[in-house]
Amino acid sequence: MTSGADAGGSASVRIEGVVKQHGTTTVLHGVDLAIAPGEFFVLLGPSGSGKTTTLRILAGLESVSAGRVWMDGADVTTKEPGARDVAMVFQSYALYPHMTVAQNIGFPLKMVGTSRDETARAVEGAAQKVGIGHLLQRTPGQLSGGQQQRVALARAIVRQPRLFLLDEPLSNLDAKLRLETRLELRRLQRSLGVTTVYVTHDQEEAMTLADRMAVFMDGRIVQVGTPREIFTRPLSLDVASFIGTPPMNLLAGEWDGHAVSIGGSTVAIGAETKSARDVVVGIRPHALRLAEGGLRARVEGVEDLGDSAIVDLVVDERLVKLKTERAPLLREGEPVFVAFAPEDAHLFDSATGARID
Amino acid sequence: MNTAARARPARLIALYAVAGVGLAVWAFPVVWGLLTSFKTERDVLASPPVWLFTPTLANYREVIFGASSIVPNLASSLIVATLATALTLVFAIPAAYAMARLRFPAKRGTGFYVLATQMLPPVGLIIPYYLVLQKIGGLDTYAGLVVIYLTFSLPFAIWLLVSYFEDVPMEMEEAALLDRAGRVRALWHVILPQVKGGIAVTTIFVFLNAWNEFMFAVVLGGNRVRPVTVAMFNFISVEQTQWARLAAGAMLAMAPVILLGMFAQRHIVKGLTVGAVKGGGRRA
Repeated sequence: MTSGADAGGSASVRIEGVVKQHGTTTVLHGVDLAIAPGEFFVLLGPSGSGKTTTLRILAGLESVSAGRVWMDGADVTTKEPGARDVAMVFQSYALYPHMTVAQNIGFPLKMVGTSRDETARAVEGAAQKVGIGHLLQRTPGQLSGGQQQRVALARAIVRQPRLFLLDEPLSNLDAKLRLETRLELRRLQRSLGVTTVYVTHDQEEAMTLADRMAVFMDGRIVQVGTPREIFTRPLSLDVASFIGTPPMNLLAGEWDGHAVSIGGSTVAIGAETKSARDVVVGIRPHALRLAEGGLRARVEGVEDLGDSAIVDLVVDERLVKLKTERAPLLREGEPVFVAFAPEDAHLFDSATGARID
Repeated sequence: MNTAARARPARLIALYAVAGVGLAVWAFPVVWGLLTSFKTERDVLASPPVWLFTPTLANYREVIFGASSIVPNLASSLIVATLATALTLVFAIPAAYAMARLRFPAKRGTGFYVLATQMLPPVGLIIPYYLVLQKIGGLDTYAGLVVIYLTFSLPFAIWLLVSYFEDVPMEMEEAALLDRAGRVRALWHVILPQVKGGIAVTTIFVFLNAWNEFMFAVVLGGNRVRPVTVAMFNFISVEQTQWARLAAGAMLAMAPVILLGMFAQRHIVKGLTVGAVKGGGRRA
């Protein structure tokens, strides 16, 4: 999508109507997806939503119950993992404990009979790219978690695959290392230009890494788009409450076509509709502000994060979070008013959870 | 602190004492056998037993080069035990791998069945085995005896190896498949090296069982196939028991087993503790 020139060796991926059943439980209910060559595509969702299963289906480690998988226009649905030219980084890294780092990285090349010299060169190159050139003679047991993770990355990039699959690769790292590695991963993917599918349950990771992303819920894709699109225009209540930290505030209200009344207070909303109905109003914490008038609220507490602050409030008997730059001087139990700009309100049908525009 | 410091040597002494008693009980027959193998028949039968005597190599000369040489029998034992071990591994490794990895109906039942074969008293099977081997012309042949040993060693080996294969994370194998290894090379390059300890333990157990086996060998073997356990029995006859030669033969028969044990000790100790913590320390 971005580096068109580099993307010569990277694949486009399309999956159509993929269903996966384990016995009587259905894990995926008909998933459709199209990923462009060179794209960094993130599968985001809570655990058990089917994102990892989808990744494993792309890898060929899992068969489909129905539907088809295409790579570069060729049907690979029934192809063996090894025949797909796909590399994967597992959550546990799955390094081979009895081999040195160099042997681990070189293994995919050895398996296709690459010459010893060529393998050594490629291993050296891949190790340099991820900054572990000095560790080649160690075994995985002698490495830290972060170093093991890099070995797994090097093993995946050494063979220049057409598709790069990552299953929560950062989840076993500590917070600081996770941030650093995230940036490096992004840079690495850019420089290689290889199509990448990345699974995570961490929406922040998804927001920062993805060119585009798909949000999974209960074995279905509920929204596909750029991180910005999904953040600013969630198509359903589920997505709205899943994306963003702290999550979007959701308040029950009644909409008469021009304004919403929430717990007795009425707030003007830009959009129009024909009929009045019950809605859920979603407002991001940073879009809320303390005001002279608006919604009646009671202060529950203030969390000062240093560079910002979260004010916990109760509005209409619901906990609401407000994010500001500076911690306001508020006492617990103090009555206040909160307001938001009409264009910052997201309206969802309270019956279906679907977005109303 | 003081109490602990004083308690420690006392504790150590107690531990060594217990270990010493255990070792003495275990080692006495072996040591006595070793001493006996260097005695003359007269010294063997001396009462009270003599501790100090003029050692002789005559017994060893007799059991190695003499008329009642057991060297052919040692060779026979080696052939039987090696064949039984090799065949057991050839069949048990893929079987254990499959049982650890594949989901198939009645898998649990299969596991129980494998163990159940170990619960039968072997003596109850001798007659049927004898009759079967007789019908197919397998009596007193290497093939016959080895096949009979397989019926015991194979289930045991599979049962032992399954837990080792189960300890290898599935993802390791999947990584190998994605690295274009294919099933067979994934097994060879990635999985087998990680169950090396289990294979070593299995090899030793199976080899020892076959090497030490006496009952089946004496009934189903006989003339052409005559393992060392059977041959040594010949030193005991109605008229007399040649204790010194028997002891020399026993020492020779024990030697390969002890060598194997020393060679593989590291693996055995490591291997026996593997099942204790499921997957512990292996998920690198």
